[in-house]
Amino acid sequence: MTASVKVFLMVVSLIALAPSALAQAVAPAPMGALTPANLAKQRPKAPFDLTGTWMHDNKEGPNSWRFVPPTFKLTPQAQEHYDAGQKATKEGKVYRDDIGQCWPAGMPLIMTRVWPIAMIQLPTAIYMTSAFMNGLRIVYLDGRAHSDPDIVVPSFNGESIGRWEGSTLVVDTKYFPGHHHWMDQAGVSIPASDQLHIIERMRMINNGNVLEIEYTMTDPKSWEGEWKTTKRWNRVNEDITEAECWPDLNDHIRSTSSSSQIREGQ
Amino acid sequence: MKKVQFLFASLIALAIAASALAHHSPAVFDRTKEVKLVGAVKEFRWSNPHSFIELDVRNEKGETDTWAVEMNPPSYLVKAGWKSSTVKPGDMVTVVVNPLRTNEKVGKFVSITLPGGQVLADAPGPAR
Repeated sequence: MTASVKVFLMVVSLIALAPSALAQAVAPAPMGALTPANLAKQRPKAPFDLTGTWMHDNKEGPNSWRFVPPTFKLTPQAQEHYDAGQKATKEGKVYRDDIGQCWPAGMPLIMTRVWPIAMIQLPTAIYMTSAFMNGLRIVYLDGRAHSDPDIVVPSFNGESIGRWEGSTLVVDTKYFPGHHHWMDQAGVSIPASDQLHIIERMRMINNGNVLEIEYTMTDPKSWEGEWKTTKRWNRVNEDITEAECWPDLNDHIRSTSSSSQIREGQ
Repeated sequence: MKKVQFLFASLIALAIAASALAHHSPAVFDRTKEVKLVGAVKEFRWSNPHSFIELDVRNEKGETDTWAVEMNPPSYLVKAGWKSSTVKPGDMVTVVVNPLRTNEKVGKFVSITLPGGQVLADAPGPAR
């Protein structure tokens, strides 16, 4: 390699590296929730620790897993889906059961599936893994703000930022994909849009054995006003297991491909 | 926009209420009907989020229909007395299912009578 070629390659390398070096100088990367220095920061002791396995309490009735209130006022586009869902129910079918087609349940439904949720609470974040399709949800507690909307990658469980208000953990969740995401399953077909915004007020009761969450949900693309509901979870003595929607699962769970399904575009 | 109030017929509500367990909605199954299938196990899979049995059943024309029998996950089946070795391909069994409302050869598992006569359900409690 000649000297001139070496110089040329060095210049090209510097040009290629310059943007990342500049970015680092302007905005240092925030510390990850599991970065030792972040974990080691001095913080007030958390009022409670969610570490454990939790199961939604369905003692309130067979529909206690639902988040849609008894009365609601939908936007025209959500109304269209709702009406199609009601029509399908009357015909003995289900409309857009995307969870059954292996799409994630997403927030808030992931919280009340009849599957346990394993939670690990650290000073910087709470890691929740639902046994239902191993749905991962992370609630950041390290004081960070929501991500830049132009940068964040939307997800079915959204981006959750928590802060302590006395003995209550207030969790703000937003940034959803706005497709294949529903507020209910089969029949009450109300879509969750990319404007879905969920506030959870979490508190521990019954000596730390019951988690109670008060939900306040808005989605101006789908309904008017706020939806509110309160759910409870009990600590359970069990482990979660791996559960995936394997590519061949629905080949065998044939109801998901039967004529009883009104699928996207039908 | 119009104000909507939804009321569920009791049967539909019951059917949908169980949907949180399945990865898909069981509202498509007619819980008021039971179909008894007698046949040979083609495949039994012990898996999350569902176990299933594929059952070869001789129809009235003498042809074989393969029924898909959809079941709860192993964590529930274990509590009802199941093991991954409870059935194997070739076993002659009787299976009771709630059929699809659209009459395809798919059912939600209710109970099984094993070759030795033992009856098992899908979840703890007596076989329905």
